[in-house]
Amino acid sequence: MPELAVSTRGLRKTYRTRRGRKVVAVQGLDLDVPVGGVHGFLGPNGSGKTTSIRMLLGLIRADAGTMTVFDQEVPRHLPDVVGRVGAIVESPKFFPAFTGRRNLELLADAIGVPRKRVGEVLDETSLGERGKDRFKSYSLGMKQRLAIAATLLKEPDLLIFDEPTNGLDPAGIREIRETMRGLGEQGRTVLVSSHILAEVEQVADTVSIIGHGRLLASGTVAEVIGNSTAATVKVAVDNHESATRILTAAGLTVRADGNYLLVDGAEYSADVTRRLAQHELYVSELIPVRADLESVFLELTADEGLGGTR
Amino acid sequence: MIRLTGVELRRLVSRRLVVIGVAALLLITGIMLVATWQNAKPLSAAEQRNAQVNFEQAQKDWQEHGEEYKKQCLQDYQSQPDPKPKLEDFCQVNPPTLDQFGKPMAKFTELMPDLLLGSSYLLAFGAFLIGASFVGAEFSSGSISNWLTFEPRRLRVYGSKLIAAATGMLPVAVVLLAILLAGVYLIVGALGTTAGTTGKVWGDLSGTAGRAVLMAAAAGALGGVLALLLRHTAAAVGVAMGYLVLVEGVFGGFLTKAQPWLVRLNFDAWIKHDTTYLVDNCRSTADGGYLCTQIEKTLSFEHGAWYLGIVVVVLIALGAGVFQRRDIS
Ligand SMILES: Nc1ncnc2c1ncn2[C@@H]1O[C@H](COP(=O)(O)OP(=O)(O)OP(=O)(O)O)[C@@H](O)[C@H]1O
Ligand SMILES: [Mg+2]
Repeated sequence: MPELAVSTRGLRKTYRTRRGRKVVAVQGLDLDVPVGGVHGFLGPNGSGKTTSIRMLLGLIRADAGTMTVFDQEVPRHLPDVVGRVGAIVESPKFFPAFTGRRNLELLADAIGVPRKRVGEVLDETSLGERGKDRFKSYSLGMKQRLAIAATLLKEPDLLIFDEPTNGLDPAGIREIRETMRGLGEQGRTVLVSSHILAEVEQVADTVSIIGHGRLLASGTVAEVIGNSTAATVKVAVDNHESATRILTAAGLTVRADGNYLLVDGAEYSADVTRRLAQHELYVSELIPVRADLESVFLELTADEGLGGTR
Repeated sequence: MIRLTGVELRRLVSRRLVVIGVAALLLITGIMLVATWQNAKPLSAAEQRNAQVNFEQAQKDWQEHGEEYKKQCLQDYQSQPDPKPKLEDFCQVNPPTLDQFGKPMAKFTELMPDLLLGSSYLLAFGAFLIGASFVGAEFSSGSISNWLTFEPRRLRVYGSKLIAAATGMLPVAVVLLAILLAGVYLIVGALGTTAGTTGKVWGDLSGTAGRAVLMAAAAGALGGVLALLLRHTAAAVGVAMGYLVLVEGVFGGFLTKAQPWLVRLNFDAWIKHDTTYLVDNCRSTADGGYLCTQIEKTLSFEHGAWYLGIVVVVLIALGAGVFQRRDIS
């Protein structure tokens, strides 16, 4: 039993744009995805998530580096492991004029899975009857569910979802999240990419954060956010001026945000209350602002000396 | 590979465009049969009377001026520059006959080869469109990337698509050509004559039809290759049409000597088992003029077969090489 579902070392990819300019999309990525559970693959737009996933699936060639899936070297041994991997890359892509069911039947036939599995996966993704409609008549959420249904045809051990909630409404997002949770609990490995931490942190057991095509941090969600000092609290207090003075003197960063103050760098939120109370300033509201990926990311890239925009 | 080809064939036959395309081919074949019927239909009584009147008039004219015409032609012949054509070819001044004014009788052995050639163009064109849209749709919808996550072995994927595009056209071509052959035979048999349709003639006709079927299959595969190389159905069709019209049509008209290297002529040579073409033969004359004559040359079946074979193999190999390496995104 391998320990890692996916592992990459020194993975690189440079695109050449039409005008001959080179874009380094992935530069030396070392990614490890443990077997079992949901692994969030996080990074802002353009950080190389989709590119890495495409390389893993053999859709594009890596310039350098090695990759393994369940300890098999890919893309060389991809045909041996592809039966255990189900993937959705970017948006779901099917034949628009065929029904959802027909699309799945063709895929099932191609890999020699019995046709009755098609009905099963349609039911599992609650598409059921809508399978008889043309793919192009589907809503975005249904397209996404059909794509998930397609990955389930193989009964895969590893599922790779690239931004599966893109464009979905809150109900759709929750549904996908629950599906991923369920798959993870069945002992499968789900690798889900996203640029929104909040979207994955509720389901992810472990995460990897990348920026500019490099790994910046990885571990459990708590570890990654805990390691960051980016905890922020939103404070409502009467006298903004004195409060800012007091908190700044205590070494915290304070920004105004409408009727609130945003305070960065407090280890415990109680710290803020205590310091203000000592000067007879009373906090009427105190909201911890969760560290979001953006701030974690900015901080991580700053550490790497990579900060700034591209 | 066999399983994949089966899946691709199933996808081919469920495509609406394929069904429409085959229906259109069937319709055009029907129109060809109707045209044949129109052609072979004998003249009505009124038309026949008309022909008789015209004939009698021409006969009268001949009796009065026939000798004059002959003399005139001989005179013209003398003033022709050397080398002179044969006198019999130059002066075909003969008394009129009735069938010049009526309609010649439709002969199966004369009509059929041209109809088969026309139909082979049609089939090749239809097959190319179907093959191109079959593969092009996967690239424009992006479903090829999904497909490759199920079967990452690209050469198998490529091979199965081309084989499906080619073999899918076989039954279509066979059935349409059979309808055409049988239909024309019945129509001409009823209205004209099928005399002289010996076993050898049938052999030649079925040889031609067989080569047309193979050509349709090849055109289907090439449509797929071009759509794959260009990632779009419309681009593939545009490039093929552009090449045929611009390069072959326009430049081919100027450079008559380059004709043996044109697809169209090799296509004819392959289908008809040898074909002929005209080459301008120009030279300066003694009196400083410039004289052109046209010489008929033959392009052999073997030339056509090798030429087309090499084109097909090279394009398929090119497609395989490109698809094997290409980043699919
Ligand atoms: N086909 C391509 N040709 C040229 N450049 C590309 C191509 N695909 C991606 N890139 C570039 O590579 C970089 C990484 O892109 P990628 O799609 O992998 O990012 P991502 O992390 O998936 O982003 P997002 O969150 O927006 O999906 C970007 O700068 C992008 O512009
Ligand atoms: Mg992406």
